[in-house]
Amino acid sequence: MSQKSPLSQEPRIVGFLCNWCSYAGADMAGTSRICYPASIRIIRVPCSGRVDPILVAKAFAMGADGVLISGCHPGDCHYVQGNYFTRRRFAVLRSLLDFLGIEKERLRLEWVSATEGQRFAQVVADFRDQLLQLRGAG
Amino acid sequence: MEELVRQKARELLSTRQLECVIGWERASDGLTSRPFFAYTPEEADRLIYDQTCVNSLAKFLVDKRNKNTAIVAKPCDTRAINLLLLEKQIKRERVYIIGVTCAGMREVSFGYMGEKLQAKCLLCPQHNPVVYDFLVGEPVAEEAVRSYEDLAEIDARTHQEREAFWQEHFNRCIRCYACRQACPGCYCQQCFVDQLDPQWVGIRIAPQENHQWNTVRAFHLMGRCIECGECQRVCPVKIPMMLLNRHLLREVESKFSFQPGLSPETPPPLATFKPDEDLGI
Repeated sequence: MSQKSPLSQEPRIVGFLCNWCSYAGADMAGTSRICYPASIRIIRVPCSGRVDPILVAKAFAMGADGVLISGCHPGDCHYVQGNYFTRRRFAVLRSLLDFLGIEKERLRLEWVSATEGQRFAQVVADFRDQLLQLRGAG
Repeated sequence: MEELVRQKARELLSTRQLECVIGWERASDGLTSRPFFAYTPEEADRLIYDQTCVNSLAKFLVDKRNKNTAIVAKPCDTRAINLLLLEKQIKRERVYIIGVTCAGMREVSFGYMGEKLQAKCLLCPQHNPVVYDFLVGEPVAEEAVRSYEDLAEIDARTHQEREAFWQEHFNRCIRCYACRQACPGCYCQQCFVDQLDPQWVGIRIAPQENHQWNTVRAFHLMGRCIECGECQRVCPVKIPMMLLNRHLLREVESKFSFQPGLSPETPPPLATFKPDEDLGI
């Protein structure tokens, strides 16, 4: 249950960005006029630790090509340890989805801080390229 | 063994302040077993223990959490008890555990007792109870290494094949939630699929929603499944969900060196972390 978008279309990426670092990082990319693919649909969450596996499962079930979870760098979490829990949960969730037939590469975890606008743009561009590649292969 | 279980149950019911002894009795077909609650010493004579006692009884302890009870527990049931203790669902002092050793349960279908052991029992690493107050049966040697050979078949498939495989199974799902009802780890008062606001998963029985339910059900048992196999046994459409559970067990074992239900104290893998760990992300 993870129908990908048609070949003619841009891949659809759902991005869960934490309010304190990555969302501000995306904002920074915007205010710095850095271009990044429009493939990503951003959803702001209080912390990357808020990203319940249900949300990821739902995103894939509803036709997302990729899901990006992005939060503060380890050690920089606004809630001190939220992203450490995310990291563990992510590792297992990705392997479960892989076992279910959703390629590992389609779920991504990245640490982007509030100042890393450039990096955010890079992450999204890379992810999009990877999804296009995967689509070509599959 | 059976006689010893009865004897102990009788003794407990006549000497202690106990609500009941939870065990198995012979079902009306004269062959299989069913859960049984013995409230009086006389009723204790109806208890049985043999290779048909496949039901997991641990979940009943959650319903009886405010009562003093005794339970006849197979090794997998004792692991479930450890899980419930760890997650603070039951109190140790309220439960008297009559641990029974287990050589595996046999395949039983309507009116016929198979020679073969249940598939889950063939893969089971645990033959002795991990927690008990009174042990029935001689302790047996345990296999040191766990085998995940049943997963190899899925591992060998491509992603497209895996997706097709699971899609075929999940499409059959009628979302009766029997898997959830039977699982000793699924004790939430309100399950996410029952919530209407927010509605996490639609109530429609369709591929999308079925996929979400089965994925998230498996994830919720990540590092918690104690392999009693009840979910798969009660599934009316025979979805092989133990494959998912066991895949996650393999993951937590390799990533976090954790096996659920072996201790009531070790924190569960997702409730803890190490700042510098490398999880191969």
